[in-house]
Amino acid sequence: MYRSNWDIRRCIARANPSGFPRTMDEAVLSPASPPVLYQSLDPRVVKLWRIHSLIASAVLLAVAGIAMLFMGFGQVLPWNSLVAGWIGLLLLRLFFLFWQAWVYRAWGYRLDGKVLETRHGVWFRTMQLLPLARLQHVDLHSGPIERSLGLASLMLHTAGTHEATIVIPGLDANEAVRLRDHLVMVGGDDGV
Amino acid sequence: MGSEPPPLPPVLPAQVAPGLTQGLLLEGRLHPLTLIFSAWHTFRGVLIPLIVILFFGRKRAEDAYLPLAFLFLVLPLGFATIRYFTFTYKIQNGELITHHGVLGRTQRIIPLSRVQDIRIDQSVLHRLFRMADVHVETAGGKEPEASLSVLSLAEAERLRSAVFDLKGLSATAAPAPPAREIIRQLTLRELLLAGVTSNQVASAVAVLLVVWRLLDQFMRPELYQRWIERSTEAAATWLTQLGSGAWVVFLFFFIAAIAIGMVFSVVGSVVMFYGFTLARSGEDLHRSYGLFTRRSSSLPRRRIQVLKIEETILRRLFKLATLRAGTAATTGSHHHQEKGGRDMLLPIVPKAQVEGLLPAFLPDLDEGGEWRKVARLAVRRGTIKGSAALTILAVILYWMRPDWPSLWPFFLVPAVYWVNVMSYRYLGYLHGPRYFRTRHGWMRRSTHIVPIRNAQVVVLHQTPLDRRWKVASVLVDTAGKANTSGPPQIHNVVYDEAVELARALARQAAETRFKL
Repeated sequence: MYRSNWDIRRCIARANPSGFPRTMDEAVLSPASPPVLYQSLDPRVVKLWRIHSLIASAVLLAVAGIAMLFMGFGQVLPWNSLVAGWIGLLLLRLFFLFWQAWVYRAWGYRLDGKVLETRHGVWFRTMQLLPLARLQHVDLHSGPIERSLGLASLMLHTAGTHEATIVIPGLDANEAVRLRDHLVMVGGDDGV
Repeated sequence: MGSEPPPLPPVLPAQVAPGLTQGLLLEGRLHPLTLIFSAWHTFRGVLIPLIVILFFGRKRAEDAYLPLAFLFLVLPLGFATIRYFTFTYKIQNGELITHHGVLGRTQRIIPLSRVQDIRIDQSVLHRLFRMADVHVETAGGKEPEASLSVLSLAEAERLRSAVFDLKGLSATAAPAPPAREIIRQLTLRELLLAGVTSNQVASAVAVLLVVWRLLDQFMRPELYQRWIERSTEAAATWLTQLGSGAWVVFLFFFIAAIAIGMVFSVVGSVVMFYGFTLARSGEDLHRSYGLFTRRSSSLPRRRIQVLKIEETILRRLFKLATLRAGTAATTGSHHHQEKGGRDMLLPIVPKAQVEGLLPAFLPDLDEGGEWRKVARLAVRRGTIKGSAALTILAVILYWMRPDWPSLWPFFLVPAVYWVNVMSYRYLGYLHGPRYFRTRHGWMRRSTHIVPIRNAQVVVLHQTPLDRRWKVASVLVDTAGKANTSGPPQIHNVVYDEAVELARALARQAAETRFKL
């Protein structure tokens, strides 16, 4: 249930030995290297993102509604175009609720020896590779809604200047702690 | 200052036995002349307002002088006195410790192994009295970690050698004082060339603005406003009479502006970099330069995060290049105009010699290696992008004046294609066992060299179009935030290759030790 057709087309195998939800890289493109398995985020993160999106939508739609009323009674624009605009906005926000599932599917991380690899992005894809020996410090962050869902995010800071911080959102709170300790342990011995 | 000012002495050998690195090594306070220099600084700062008040101010304003004098002279002098009497520094147990302040006492501890760069700056006045400002830089922050102003030159040198010898000891445990080897000295001819090939028009405009602002401060507007009005009127009538001849006049002024700019940049380059010497003793790259204000700085070469070889259009005509070293030290953004040439490791060098000089900065640089090309697709994408821009231009022109000559931008499409082919020929990356290099550009070229041990994060980006073409961009982020204008990155790498490259770089980085 974590995959769409969109993703399945790219998969050559559905290996899922640990029972954890996993996604596949498009490494299928290169026949030389074996396909790479990524760990997915906790599925509850979609709920979190949807709640965030709903709150933002509510505020936005309320503000837009008030503006619509003012403009309607002030006869700045005709009522039908105002209502059409407001409904357009509503549909856009509703679309974002579905969008979160796509964002979730695009997200993956994996630990490859001493390198942490993350990938995300639906339209604009980004893959970040962090040599754990470069880890400066790790933040474990958990907002109120996140906490109530039992989630946490990790922020991995390096000494870099342009893409210095890597964020892994939506991890199970216990898993986040475990992952943090593991990353720090692997990174702590500073390579060689 | 009749006689030639004395040159900076070479780095002194260590004044302590290696065993004494623990305990108190050096202790001191600012030089008493601090007071005089602070007074001069304050005075120089208020000089122009003072003149304005004295000569152009209303008469019978004597009552105002007393509070003004207090504000501008007595108060800063008081602060300087306090600073002089409260500021102390010492090197103890491998740390530089400074104390200052009266009410809020500040103690700052800088571990010597974290010092990125020590700068010793001497203005003309400093040189007359053999004094110097010392700035100690560490990674991060907006300002130097410690600024000692002023110390005697001998004391400044003593401080520097103490810091760097200790560092050498802690890093390599080789107690022998390293020999000083001159990497490069710039001749007057090279400085003249550097001036001629730097960006003249911009500097001319800057100078004119400064002159304008000075005039504005000194003169009352009534004095010149009528003069300007009259000359603009005269110019307007003259231009209408001349008709198309006006272009000749404009051309003349344009050439004159460039010539003036060139003179200014040549003078600027010579004044800034006169006597430029880049030397190496042990791990430290030592630069000193300047005709009036003498600057010198020490940069441990392993602190170089990225090295950039820059060839601007004008410099390529003369086969010259500039070397920049990206470090984690402060960017100096608060003094943006007054970088004082610190952003350049070597302001000018013949391109042919660059490759031979590199091992002096990056000792374990990979030998040879093969430059790899990105996807040939880069040419097509560049051409499409350029043509799209030209189309937009043509549409706008046609909309403004709908006839056939407005479509001239389309004739530039072959030129766009040619430019893209030319830049594709140079574009590439070189992935070695210890270093990663990228290069790009057509007229203006630049090459980045990153020691892989300094790579912090490797990033692979794909826009929707990149995905359509199965290519990606690879970016190697480092801690070098100053002087190289962004991290090295390369676009349009075939996706499979990009993934492999990124993973290999990250793996290599994970196997090496990074020390800031």
